[in-house]
Amino acid sequence: MIPATKIRTGISGLDKLLHGGYVPGRPYIVSGPPGAGKTIMSVQFLREGLEGGERCLFVALEEPPNELKINMRAFRWNLDDLDVLDANSDIRRFEPTPILEISTEEEPAKMRAIGERIRKTPDFESKEVTVHSLQQLLKTLLVKRHYERVVIDSMTALRYFCMREFEEAVTTQSFMRYLAESKVTSLLILELPEEGEVPPEAFLARGEVRLHKLRDETGIKRFVSVEKYKGSSHDESVYPFEITTSGIVINTASKPAMAV
Amino acid sequence: MDRVKTGIAGLDTMLNDGLLPARPYVVSGPTGSGKTVLAAHFLLEGLRQQEPCLLVTLDEPPFEVKSNMATFGWSLDRLKILDATPDVRAHKRARSVIDVGTSLDVRDMEDVTDIRQSSVMRALEVTVHSVQKMIKQEFLTHLEHTKQRYKRIVVDSMTALKMFSMQGQDSRILIQSFLRFLSELEATSLIVSERLDRKTLETEFFLSRGEIRLHKWIDGSAIRRAVSIEKFRGSSFDDKMRTLTIGEKGMVVLLEAPATIRGTSPGPKPGESLLEARLIDEVSNAIEGVMRQIEEAHRRQVPVRDMEVSLSRAMLAFQRRSYQKAMQIALACDSDLKQRIAGAPPPPPVAAPPRPPAVTR
Repeated sequence: MIPATKIRTGISGLDKLLHGGYVPGRPYIVSGPPGAGKTIMSVQFLREGLEGGERCLFVALEEPPNELKINMRAFRWNLDDLDVLDANSDIRRFEPTPILEISTEEEPAKMRAIGERIRKTPDFESKEVTVHSLQQLLKTLLVKRHYERVVIDSMTALRYFCMREFEEAVTTQSFMRYLAESKVTSLLILELPEEGEVPPEAFLARGEVRLHKLRDETGIKRFVSVEKYKGSSHDESVYPFEITTSGIVINTASKPAMAV
Repeated sequence: MDRVKTGIAGLDTMLNDGLLPARPYVVSGPTGSGKTVLAAHFLLEGLRQQEPCLLVTLDEPPFEVKSNMATFGWSLDRLKILDATPDVRAHKRARSVIDVGTSLDVRDMEDVTDIRQSSVMRALEVTVHSVQKMIKQEFLTHLEHTKQRYKRIVVDSMTALKMFSMQGQDSRILIQSFLRFLSELEATSLIVSERLDRKTLETEFFLSRGEIRLHKWIDGSAIRRAVSIEKFRGSSFDDKMRTLTIGEKGMVVLLEAPATIRGTSPGPKPGESLLEARLIDEVSNAIEGVMRQIEEAHRRQVPVRDMEVSLSRAMLAFQRRSYQKAMQIALACDSDLKQRIAGAPPPPPVAAPPRPPAVTR
């Protein structure tokens, strides 16, 4: 039974871990090292929305939309109606050619309309994505299109490439605050280093689903845990998961991974 | 979609038939792990398939690359090589690389005979910008002359590029832009990069569409090598670590048995992660518990010499990262000790209880 106040994550095992799903209208973090499966998890979240007739937006800051489309093809999900906003900055020019911030007129493309080849940087101007322009654009889009689910892939790229270092902490905080106020359920992808400290975004979100990657003699083992979930109880164990042809499957039946 | 073969059969099998075309990938590993050899295989395979290939070298001057590859008996003559090794700084002249033609810096491998003398040509100072510009110009010139696009590009190495030319806050954006640039060329590219610090998240590692990681460690007196795939967007892959050899014919990946690292070399090893950190905590807690009990047994004058031996075995296993084994031994000690202590007379009174010793890792 899913309580009426929560929405499904698109992964049944994760719904169990979160005791029903996400509380809608809030931002959540999906974190993990490169290659853990963060993008796949977030696309499953959007797909769940699409199946229920919701409007969903994927903001691509790490990989070009054409590659996302090709990568997701193997799962045979119907993502035709997914809106994808290409927020990858163009190649930087080092000459005095005009640099344009992405305008607030920019429109996301429907997944079905995205081509096979990468968008090319035009010869005479470069599009640059800054956190301010992106926030403005999202504001316009959310009003105009009433998105219910939004994925930002990734917050790390936003911090690394779209803001200046001295303002990182404040700007990140205000961006996340903006998402919280906009009443959309959002997943923010966060890259983690292989070891060491967790970036500050994790502390700002209402919840964090963390993916772990462990290599042993038999290959890569993947695990998932809910690190934090404000306003709800959640499962506190670490569970193994696999990336299958139907996406991420969490094995909630198995003993929690931490029992040695 | 057609895959791009790396030219190393075992590695192609691991990659589920090869790399996805027109995307940038990272080849990582410590010094001497074979990154450049892997990249050379990739280029050689391209040449074999009549594809135009470009090597951008920042670490070694072309003639060194050439003589190194000659030891494998490979002819990379048709390979275009873009010499981006920085000149001796003292020879730097006022003209920057931006205003001058860069065609001089690209040569066929067969024309490479000796190191370029800094004083003969203008001095080059290497920046991301200049390298990007050189690649672009070469790409366009090649397209114009042969009506062919470069299909494979190797940048060896990103580590050098970063060290030479990037300071401060712009470096992330420069790398992002550089990778975007490589993507827009629609060539399959390999970026050679040494991971300098596992605790920082380096841009090329999370932006690239995949990472092939090479490992090297000392086992007794022998050097052992292995390869693993850490990330590969849009494809399934063999996630085991495989044994690797570099011999007369270059690099060979052995698929029969997964490689396991059992060396004595310190330093980072694969498999370290957050989860492992938790495991370490659990095992060290267990060991600490056993140590406290041994302490207690001493106070009650219960003989525990054998337990001390077991404890050192557990700690040895712990040090060798056999956490499961360490845990088993520690747990066995724990229950054994509990029984012995329970069966012993109560301890003589002591003024202050001794402090439990801390486990050092």
